[in-house]
Amino acid sequence: MTGSRLKACWLVAGLIVACAMASQGWAHHGWGWASDELSEKTGEIVDVRLGNPHGEVDLKVNGQLWTIEVGQPWRNERAGLTDQVLVEGREMTVLGNPSTREGEKVLKAVRVTIGGTHHDLYEGRLPDAE
Amino acid sequence: MTIGVLESVEAWTPVVALRNSLYAYPLVNGVHILGVALLVGSIVPLDLRLAGLWSSVAIQPLWRILARMALAGFVLAAVSGTFLFATRATEYADSWLFLAKLGLIGLAGLNALWLIGTVGAASRVDRPAVRIAACLSALAWVSVLFLGRLVGYF
Repeated sequence: MTGSRLKACWLVAGLIVACAMASQGWAHHGWGWASDELSEKTGEIVDVRLGNPHGEVDLKVNGQLWTIEVGQPWRNERAGLTDQVLVEGREMTVLGNPSTREGEKVLKAVRVTIGGTHHDLYEGRLPDAE
Repeated sequence: MTIGVLESVEAWTPVVALRNSLYAYPLVNGVHILGVALLVGSIVPLDLRLAGLWSSVAIQPLWRILARMALAGFVLAAVSGTFLFATRATEYADSWLFLAKLGLIGLAGLNALWLIGTVGAASRVDRPAVRIAACLSALAWVSVLFLGRLVGYF
């Protein structure tokens, strides 16, 4: 049975490698991946993908493409962020927490402002002095 | 042309409803996890037994229960997974991790069919080919699980 023991060892080794690979994955759920510092970006809406598990808006900021993560459907709806508001070509300002990963242009939105209207996704994360 | 098909899948009313739903999406997501749990949770001990571990335990009664549970888990995961795929069809079709996962499911499925034909027929299962196929099976299905998880993070 040494042969099968050896195979079992290989199986375990494979599992460990897979776990190591998985741990390098970057969770875009929650806030763990985002910086604690708030940052503001203004740009043109290029693409909108609302829906589960959370919505994404592509924003062209000074020629650079940023992926803005907005909320899950109920949060977007509560904030009034709909496909009718998020129109491609419109200007949008977003206040939120950018990714801490170097070179990754992803920002988790706290407040989105379109046409002078604030859409607050996470009121508790807005700076107190408003 | 493929993109057109995928776009119309995303735009199909039930799929739009699922994408924007409050409860349905996490529910379907939960069914997918349940399916994966049943599949991997059944197939790994069965494969280890076929690979030669616990040789004092009879294979056939184990096979009767675990092969069926694995198949049931696979069906649950496949059906719920199809709906999850549909909500973001163009994005998933563009993800090499997702395509690798589908490819590996295909290979693991062929391997499973061979094992069903061999072990299900029950002539003589204690031979090298069965052991190798069993090891490959465990490795493949566990890798499918990890690939699936990685799809959500890249």
